[in-house]
Amino acid sequence: MDTTLQHDSNGALDAGEEAMLRRVGYGGMEARSASAVLVNHELRVATSNVDGVEIMPIQDALMRYDWVQDLMFNLIAPDENELLRQSAELLNDPIGQFIYVHDGAKVGLPVQSFTLMELPQGRQFTHNITVIGKGAEVEMISGAAVPENVHAGHHVSIDEMYLREGARCRSISIERWGKNMSVDSYSRSEIGPGAETTSSQIMIAPLRRHLSDTKSYIHEAASANDQATVFAPEGTERVFENETYLVGPGARSESVTRMVSAGGTIVNRALLVGQAKQTSGFLGCDGLKLSDVGEILAVPSLKAESADAQLSHEASVGTIAEEKLSYLMASGLSEDQARDLIVQGFLNLKEQYLPEEMRAQATEMIAAAKSGGM
Amino acid sequence: MASPMLELRNVSVGAGETTLLHDINLTVHPGEMHVLLGQNGAGKSSLLSAIMGMPPFEVSAGTVVYNGRDLAGLGVDERARLGLGMAFQRPPSLAGVTAAEFAQALGAQRALADQADALDMGQFAGRDLVVGFSGGEIKRWEVLKLFLQAPDLILFDEPDSGVDLEHIAAVGAAVGRLVSQPARDGSRRAALLITHSGLILEHVRADRAHIMSSGRIVHSGEPQALFRHIQKAGYVAPAA
Repeated sequence: MDTTLQHDSNGALDAGEEAMLRRVGYGGMEARSASAVLVNHELRVATSNVDGVEIMPIQDALMRYDWVQDLMFNLIAPDENELLRQSAELLNDPIGQFIYVHDGAKVGLPVQSFTLMELPQGRQFTHNITVIGKGAEVEMISGAAVPENVHAGHHVSIDEMYLREGARCRSISIERWGKNMSVDSYSRSEIGPGAETTSSQIMIAPLRRHLSDTKSYIHEAASANDQATVFAPEGTERVFENETYLVGPGARSESVTRMVSAGGTIVNRALLVGQAKQTSGFLGCDGLKLSDVGEILAVPSLKAESADAQLSHEASVGTIAEEKLSYLMASGLSEDQARDLIVQGFLNLKEQYLPEEMRAQATEMIAAAKSGGM
Repeated sequence: MASPMLELRNVSVGAGETTLLHDINLTVHPGEMHVLLGQNGAGKSSLLSAIMGMPPFEVSAGTVVYNGRDLAGLGVDERARLGLGMAFQRPPSLAGVTAAEFAQALGAQRALADQADALDMGQFAGRDLVVGFSGGEIKRWEVLKLFLQAPDLILFDEPDSGVDLEHIAAVGAAVGRLVSQPARDGSRRAALLITHSGLILEHVRADRAHIMSSGRIVHSGEPQALFRHIQKAGYVAPAA
């Protein structure tokens, strides 16, 4: 079986595109097991360097594997809302990628998938499906970027992810959209029995509006550990609607969101549902408000349907204590330097699994977003 | 004698509407260590905070002059950059901010590497500042922090409170080493140190001591003699 598909093997991305993507975690082919890059309305790169990982346009996957059609719109219904309905209609010839890690594959280097939107006022609708086979282990790096000259546009994405029994996946995503863009991302995942997933999401760069709608279904003895780092400068609105369902006995989940508003609006509604016996889960929502402009709304909620579900949550919203600022400034740091240290500490990037270059990029993005430089 | 490094001239200090300290006069020259003795609540920490420019404490009357410059109107960071530094009695916890990141922000990574081991803090570079620190670790960190900043006039707020005798000896030795290093212009550093127990006086060389009571300096004299007096008579001025 041919596990390698590359539409343009002789340098599919130009130097400018590659530089843009490197700022959100893109690595050279030699540092990745497989790569997918969607540029505007085309999956420009779809390459796998290893056995056991397939990566291809979703249209090809639908033709190659008849079971892929059963996974599409399986975890999300096209009639959930009008936007999805429109997207589903447009997706007669769907754009997106299919990533398939075969059963038992232990993938050494990360698999990466990125989206580039290069058209000002462009419209992009993507539908991606990822399948991590039984007992497979993989690390995924994903992200999105636009060129400096793209300020406005609308990106809609649907992601359906399937972790099969005993699979392990560690994922990182980092995005850098245009400052006046709208983004609607719908993500659904099914974590099979005994599977484990750890994810870090970095959402720092300014954009006009982002709706992130996520639902996860965690099966018997499976676990999910999610961390999200969210920053909203003035003019940015980010809305998160997250639902986690512990559907199998012994399913576990921990989700921590750290939010900083520097004048923007952040709404985080998170629901954790313990449906099966001996499930456990935690929701953490911590907010830091840097000015009187904008708002943070944190609404963690728990629903126990099983008598022995162990669910808990913590939520806090506050500002930087003057005492902390003064303490740092008493060593000679300016107020901005002191604030930056405290904000970086609050967002706690170092506690998240991030490649060093991505950590540096995220740190730089926070500083730039705070200063209005992005 | 060299020009004073610090002069307090008829200084009153307030917090909000409340006046806490009255008519304080104090002169510290380069190379000197002065000690403020006083019971809890006497106003010692308020005085140090006001000199440093730490809110909510403000000089409400009189002048604070540092190396010939009136500090009125200068923020805490401006004072620090002029050469003032302070070891806090109870520093705030800074979750997520490591000692290494703090040192980097100050451009003092080399100083951290050089000084941490001497203060038995070689393993602290990755620790979040003051989070979960013991009493002794807090005091040693506050001195290490000053090695990173390298100020010329150092204010120590109760470096011997809440720690065991072994830690007091270690902190006292570090304080002595810090103060004995030259100032940035090659002259000598100076220090103003608060203690209410006086225990650290066994480990530092103090030049002059002052008794503070109810917001006023009520007596000044030779440190050891004054401390012996306090042990017998309490924080009151000796009879003339």
